[in-house]
Amino acid sequence: MTPASARMFDADISGRIFDLGLLRRLFGWLAPQRNRLLISTLLVLVTAVLQVLLPVVLSLVVIDHLLMDEAASGIPDLGLVAFTEWLAGRLGTHPLVAACVLYGGLQLAIAVTGHYHRITLADAVIDGLADLRRAVFAHLARLPSSFWDRVAVGRVTTRVTNDVESLYDLLRGLGALVGELVPFFVALSIMLAVDAKLTLALLAFAPLLAGLTFGFRMLSRELYRRARQSLSLLNQQLQENLAGLTVVQLHGRETENLARYTATNTRHRKNEGRGMRLETVYGAVNDSLGSLALALVLWLGGMAVFEDALTLGAVVLFTRYIDMLFSPIVALGEQYNQLFRAMASGERIFQALDWREPLTEPAHPARLPSRLAGAIRIHDLTFAYPGGEPVLEDIELDIAAGSTLAVVGPTGSGKSTLVRLLPRLYEVPPGSIFIDDIDVNHIPSRELRRRIGIVLQDFHVFSGSILDNITLNDPAIDREVAIAAARAVGANGFIEALPDGYDTPLAERGRNLSQGQRQLLAFARVLAADPEILILDEATASIDPESERLIQQALARLTEGRTSIIIAHRLATVTDADAVAVLVNGRIEAAGAHADLLGRSPTYARLHAMQFQEL
Amino acid sequence: MLAKPESTGRDWRVLLRLGPWLRRQRILIVFALIAFAVSRLLEAAIPLFLREVIDRIDTGNPALLGPVLGIVACVLARLLVVTSARIGIRQAGINLVFDLRQTLFDRLQSQGATFFTRHTVGDMMTRAVSDLGLIRRLVSMGTIMAVIMVYATVIGFAAMFYLAPSLAWMVAPPLPFIAWYASRASKRMNSSSRQTQERLGELTDRTQERFGGIRTLQAMAREDAEIERFQTDNEAYAEAFRAQARVASAMTSVMPTLAAVATLTVIGYGGHLVLTEQITKGTFVAFFAYVAMVIAPMRSMGFLVNLVQRAAVAAGRVFEVLDLEPEINDQPSGATPGRMRGVLAAWGLTYTHPGSSNVALADLELDIQAGETIAIMGRVGAGKSTLLALFARMLEPPAGSVLIDGHPVADWPLRELRRQVALVPQDAFLFAQPLRENLSYDDPTRELEPILGAAEAADLESTITALPQGVATLIGERGVTLSGGQRQRTTLARGLIREAPILLLDDCFASVDTDTEERILDRLLAERTGLTTLMVTHRVSTARRADRILVLEAGRIEGFGSHAQLLASEGWYAELAQSQQQASARAMES
Repeated sequence: MTPASARMFDADISGRIFDLGLLRRLFGWLAPQRNRLLISTLLVLVTAVLQVLLPVVLSLVVIDHLLMDEAASGIPDLGLVAFTEWLAGRLGTHPLVAACVLYGGLQLAIAVTGHYHRITLADAVIDGLADLRRAVFAHLARLPSSFWDRVAVGRVTTRVTNDVESLYDLLRGLGALVGELVPFFVALSIMLAVDAKLTLALLAFAPLLAGLTFGFRMLSRELYRRARQSLSLLNQQLQENLAGLTVVQLHGRETENLARYTATNTRHRKNEGRGMRLETVYGAVNDSLGSLALALVLWLGGMAVFEDALTLGAVVLFTRYIDMLFSPIVALGEQYNQLFRAMASGERIFQALDWREPLTEPAHPARLPSRLAGAIRIHDLTFAYPGGEPVLEDIELDIAAGSTLAVVGPTGSGKSTLVRLLPRLYEVPPGSIFIDDIDVNHIPSRELRRRIGIVLQDFHVFSGSILDNITLNDPAIDREVAIAAARAVGANGFIEALPDGYDTPLAERGRNLSQGQRQLLAFARVLAADPEILILDEATASIDPESERLIQQALARLTEGRTSIIIAHRLATVTDADAVAVLVNGRIEAAGAHADLLGRSPTYARLHAMQFQEL
Repeated sequence: MLAKPESTGRDWRVLLRLGPWLRRQRILIVFALIAFAVSRLLEAAIPLFLREVIDRIDTGNPALLGPVLGIVACVLARLLVVTSARIGIRQAGINLVFDLRQTLFDRLQSQGATFFTRHTVGDMMTRAVSDLGLIRRLVSMGTIMAVIMVYATVIGFAAMFYLAPSLAWMVAPPLPFIAWYASRASKRMNSSSRQTQERLGELTDRTQERFGGIRTLQAMAREDAEIERFQTDNEAYAEAFRAQARVASAMTSVMPTLAAVATLTVIGYGGHLVLTEQITKGTFVAFFAYVAMVIAPMRSMGFLVNLVQRAAVAAGRVFEVLDLEPEINDQPSGATPGRMRGVLAAWGLTYTHPGSSNVALADLELDIQAGETIAIMGRVGAGKSTLLALFARMLEPPAGSVLIDGHPVADWPLRELRRQVALVPQDAFLFAQPLRENLSYDDPTRELEPILGAAEAADLESTITALPQGVATLIGERGVTLSGGQRQRTTLARGLIREAPILLLDDCFASVDTDTEERILDRLLAERTGLTTLMVTHRVSTARRADRILVLEAGRIEGFGSHAQLLASEGWYAELAQSQQQASARAMES
């Protein structure tokens, strides 16, 4: 994988194309929900028919039959007239009351079937997409470090959250569209049966509305894009001005920055105004078309009544169907932009799911003893990140089981890379790193990582309790073990002083802990996991002397009986180590005992002079 | 303390404060209110023509063209009027937010360290984005809804009472009930949708956190277990979402069913009136249109109430910012000279950071001559950065305790003070702008030559040469990422370029390696001969090059003198110098 393709992951996918394959793939995730979808579809059909019947009751039953007393006008009423008469007979009431009962009954039935249609559909979509979301998270969570090095966490998170959200919107929108289209066709067939000529005249409005809607969506898409852009620029400017406010004030840039902000704000107002005017005009024209269609129906329908081709009720029926005929077109327009947005989201989701960047796992894994001795041998190791220059060259190191090696060197010398290769966070060249004479490539990465404990410099504190952070929710580590580990590294002092001790919840990223406390917590976490090999990237940040002392003691406890590699930033750590390796520009400049190195390695002498505190 | 979103704002009266801002849009607003009334009247005329047509059909009068054209005329006129009314009110909303946004930016710009220890940038962004958005929606949408609610109800009932008073009386009673249900249902919808949003927020936060700590999880082989934990959050969200779908769907079903009560009244009682020939069939049909007209706005009642409530909270939060006074009060005495000589003094300076109980600087007495170079040393938290910030008046010192050229800092015009006191802060903040703009931030119009000069002084030439477009290269997330050392040297150059009489460097070499630091320092000290320079440092090798070294310990002066004097005094500095020198000496001898 080259850096170029890494950028591809982060690249903006605009979703300009309508991709059927993508839609099909999306529906694949709904396949387990097919029973619910089937029920929902049946219910929407029933609801649609009932919805179409309501106006029939009003116009053909009430107006024509009861009020006009039109005898058998020949207009199909689906048996509703007869039903009303029968009902009136059964109830012993005036047919008008029976019509009311029928109308109310239909309305109630619509409420019930419509409700169940919507919730079964929602459940199916929600559950199907929850599965998809889990799959995306699981896939990404298993991608190796090389992937995570290149991408921004926030943007990857978006794939799991926002992108799946817009698929919800899409699918629910499509569901709603079905809910509009079915009544459209049912109403259309009744209208054609009643009066084909009038129906066709009314349908002439459809292409007009469709064209209008389509044109509006095309235009508005561009206008809204511009408005979104100027808004995001506006927010970016404010955000940056606030983040860098000290610099702004120190340089007296307030007036200039306000002027720039005003310019953007003015541009945004213009963009927003344009979009708003277009939308307003469209909206108003859109709801005027219905009234124009009404005029047309009255005119043509009225004429037909005089020619005895139509009844008054039928004219009223047509006026009631106008909405049913027009609303799917408007709904389709509403879904149009949504569809493209969702297409882009879908593309991003499936790109994430398809992202292959696996670590090679051994075909024939080596069998490890229950406890490794922990002798590490690095032989002729040269390593480069994909598509980059080598960051480590010709590394030769022998670390005796149970000993501690301190690694020192200037920034960028390859220290971090070296220690990250050991647990195979990156693809290790074959035959270059051995643990107890087993090539690490022959050990499954999972197994290997259970044997190696790592404390990274930017050790991560998760939200949850202190205890959760020590055990990392591993059921194999019980409370006693965790507390013992915290005691052993001297973290118990501050933990027990907290209001709820080990159960104290930690704020976001452990912000309520000091740097030193967080480091001790990280130590406890590793000790609780009890690995055979320890890797530690010491924190460089300044820590108060009290914590410093605690950390030094904890370190001694941690490295006890464990092969340890420490990227050292403290003099005491270096002097306590059994051996020191000096890394410069990816090569080992010198390795040996502390006293020995001062004379042999100029870099070591310089680092030593600065007490290894160089950043 | 500014309020959290949930803590205030049931009080809608804060919306009255928008009054003066809306007054600037009064022409648009008054126009819109009149136009909306006209458009409602035109809309209400349509069923009257409909009634006429139906009655003419019913009575066999074939003169349909008149009333049909009446409908067309009403529709077209209404289209024109309603479009301009909506554009008017929406433009007023846009203009209002434009004005609020300008003032918000201006107010926030005059805040300082004190404000931002209590409030995050994120909180301010929420106010600028969501809260202003809500206010705009209130004006653009809320006004339309409220206006329609009033006009539609009044005009709709007027028409119904005109046509058939007895039927109108029958239709009216269930309507308040519908309005009551609508607002109750909308309350439930809001609480359920808020819950869904909260679950989604949690899901997002936790996902972000898990991905942020993915290396830890993978290194400890915990990723599979974490996927299961993710699934818990995922399920919780799905659960809330399903519940929300139920509430929303129930409302969608119940509303038209309730509205049907009015329709049934028209069918039943209206039908009876037709049969008894008290009303015409045209009136009967027209009634359905009027019933729809008065019921439609009832549905949006709950939405409107919710919008008003949320906008009130939002307005409260926005006005909190608009009410802010500048953190540093700029009231120059007018008696300060034009150019500073560079004499710095502190007279009994005691400073405590707002909201802190610890004294940052205690009883500090300090005299620094013009042209002196002073190194400031001390442990973390000793007060070094605070002292520098007080001289640049980024923090407000007690009156008369911090002086430049014998004048209290408050006597200098703030602009002038900050122009002549160049403080380079510890945090190497760069703007997402071209490097050139970052280097010459105080003066975007500066010629290239002095910019390159300052860059060279900060040892940035090789960095610039390596950039794809040189100084024109965009820095930051969308551009090139600079290393810590490069960023720090850029901020240094940004300070040097100003050739200020007083230069304050706050630990600007921490990320710069020692050789580079030496190079920069040689040049800097040579160029600043005769100008006052204060620099915070942790390295004895740097400090010894200063004329005097000020050692701070917990906000007090632990030592102040030349390198030799301090070495002789056997204080903290001597100890530090000894340990640092021993280390380098041992390195030398071996």
